[in-house]
Amino acid sequence: MYRSQRLAVRYFTAAIALFGIMTAAGLLTAAYYLQPSLLYNVFDFQMAKILHINTLVIWLLMGFIGAVYWFLPKELEHEVVGIRLAEILFYVFCAAVAVVAVVFILVQYGSSNQFSMWFINQGRKYVEAPRWAALGIVVVVLTFVFNVVATAVRARRMTGILWVLMLDLVPLSVLYLDAFPQITNMSHDLYWWWWLVHMWVEATWEVLIGCLMAWSLMELLGTSRRIVEAWLYIEVMLVLGTGILGLGHHYFWIGTPQYWLSIGGFFSALEPLPLLGMVVHAIYDAGTHRMQTTNRPAFCWVLAEAFGNFIGAGVFGFMMTLPQINLYSHGTQWTVSHGHFAFWGAYGCGIIAIVYLVLQRTRDARFFDSRAWKWSFGLLNFGLVGMVGGLLIAGIAQAVYERAQGGSTLQAFVVATESPWFQSGMYVRLAFGVVFALGYVVLVYDLLTIGKRAPVAATQVVSA
Amino acid sequence: MTPMALFATATALGLFVLSGGAYGVLYGAGSLRSSRLLTRAGYACYGLQLLLLLAVCLAAPLAGLWKVFLIVSGITYGFIPPATWRLLHALHHRSEAEP
Amino acid sequence: MDIQDPKFWRAGAVSSTVVMLVVLAFLTIDSLEATRAGGRQVPNYDVINQKIGYAYDWSRRLDVPVIGGAEPLFDKPYTLAEATAQIRLGKLVIQSRACMDCHTFFGNGAYYAPDLSKAWLDPAWSQIWMPMTGAKTRADAMVLFLKHPERYPTWTRRMPNLSLNDEEARAVVAYLKWMSSVDTNGFPENFGLIRGRE
Repeated sequence: MYRSQRLAVRYFTAAIALFGIMTAAGLLTAAYYLQPSLLYNVFDFQMAKILHINTLVIWLLMGFIGAVYWFLPKELEHEVVGIRLAEILFYVFCAAVAVVAVVFILVQYGSSNQFSMWFINQGRKYVEAPRWAALGIVVVVLTFVFNVVATAVRARRMTGILWVLMLDLVPLSVLYLDAFPQITNMSHDLYWWWWLVHMWVEATWEVLIGCLMAWSLMELLGTSRRIVEAWLYIEVMLVLGTGILGLGHHYFWIGTPQYWLSIGGFFSALEPLPLLGMVVHAIYDAGTHRMQTTNRPAFCWVLAEAFGNFIGAGVFGFMMTLPQINLYSHGTQWTVSHGHFAFWGAYGCGIIAIVYLVLQRTRDARFFDSRAWKWSFGLLNFGLVGMVGGLLIAGIAQAVYERAQGGSTLQAFVVATESPWFQSGMYVRLAFGVVFALGYVVLVYDLLTIGKRAPVAATQVVSA
Repeated sequence: MTPMALFATATALGLFVLSGGAYGVLYGAGSLRSSRLLTRAGYACYGLQLLLLLAVCLAAPLAGLWKVFLIVSGITYGFIPPATWRLLHALHHRSEAEP
Repeated sequence: MDIQDPKFWRAGAVSSTVVMLVVLAFLTIDSLEATRAGGRQVPNYDVINQKIGYAYDWSRRLDVPVIGGAEPLFDKPYTLAEATAQIRLGKLVIQSRACMDCHTFFGNGAYYAPDLSKAWLDPAWSQIWMPMTGAKTRADAMVLFLKHPERYPTWTRRMPNLSLNDEEARAVVAYLKWMSSVDTNGFPENFGLIRGRE
């Protein structure tokens, strides 16, 4: 195993641990909705939410970085250049995340000065981490980019997948610069903030997970490089072709010109089309290989990725993307339901698939199966769908009572929140959140144990 | 837009894409297993998608141009599963034919 | 045109990305100009000296801010420089206290607390908080509330005390007043126009 692959396993370990913290913080945020006096003025909703969404971003980023460290040396048949530095920075990264979290928990917020921005809380969603930590992330990401490029140069090799990845890493890194500025004008602030958030999760991250899925399919199903490359280019063409101006669906209501309602709505409504293509592709791959694979959990999580992405991002997104609908759904739990489903489907499932793929190699298990993965797969996905359903009910109630009927005042917000539909939705969300958390526990158990038992006969293959 | 129109339009739009997805899945499954039943079920889902589109065009409080756009995208959804299937087939066969 | 050749699709990926980025660049230049303080969608910061309303515009078929006559904030007219300094401080307060992680601004943020795009215009200030705080003006009621939200709850879900001093609270109020003057293409619809008790 290459050193970089050992580093990959460390990244995955950290990622899965953060996934757990994210889940715990998520359960806490859900609890506030049902018990508003919970930890009042001790540890309020906003801090739990900050932990929840920041661990979300970091666990996925760590998953991506780990995955690239895993696939890169195999792709180039060369150890990663600068691996020692990368290994050190992994521990620095983990330490920084821990320090930021401790400050969030114990200090929470500061005074209105630059010291707070640099060392405590920047207060912009997803990028609340203080500037010193953001600088740290920049160093880690730049080192990571250096690792990728330098290894390709040293190995004197280039592949289509690697080209796409390297080109993608440039905007991915540059966009993170929006984690630093403190802009007075809210319209300008949000304009650039959406470049970071949308162009990460609906553009550069899509391309990145596309590259990772390409490598994964080559390993899982033995698909030829030519096919995965062609498909990757098609994906990039369609995802960026719709997603770049689909950014406009965040520019309906932030003070930007009215033409964004048409442009953003139009391109955003096209965004599900490439995702439908991915679903058809997933069926093709599943079928032509007759579901035969030596790694059923990884394969099933890849299928979950295709379907979850389509339904969570595509269906749920389309439901609320036209400006005529979005005027009412904007800033409600409807958005939350879409967000949870989309993040899970587009990225969570993919990272978990790759972790299973990697574990089969590190444990050298010819045949890789267990009972626990099926339970965790079921609990996590069932839990997620249930959560999303609860949030959708609450969100539609909010859209109707708060926005459409109530005019979005404080009183309208209260009326919507007190409505039985909203309250039921929140109870449902918490209940299914517990199911999801159980799924996480089983997932961890499975990741620790799968493939470690007595080896099964090498010729055994599972069919659907 | 009335609250009922909001709920109905959003639901119709979500089901529109979902039935497009079901069409893709069933079409693919039908092609894989050479099952006419599955392929026809796929076409039925596309039919449902078009019905939802019709309902939106007739009843949803959207301006004319938006409805035109939805019609065009509805037609496009019809082509995606067969076109994707043919492309994947061609890519795989080309790949197998070459050393 | 060989659709089985990955290079064909690579060319498609490159060209579609480049075209979209170029269009985005042009739209960004225009949008940033429109949204700068003093641009066509966003008033300059000294709008806090004026009355701000919200009314339906039949030509655009949506609600738009209405900038009216003089209505000094805290009884003192601000120069542009003073107003800018206030607004700058207000935003720094909002960020340092992570308001966006409970509230939404132009609908962006967290959904545990109300949207603040038009909070300046909320009837609750005159109907609930002015009587509760004993303040003579809406702005004064907002300051008292922001400094000690735990003293003036209206609901089971309460805003925590975020240790705002007087200067910070005033800056936030100024920020909220300025924000309510931004043309958000009609979001939120019908704000404050569905009237309860006046």
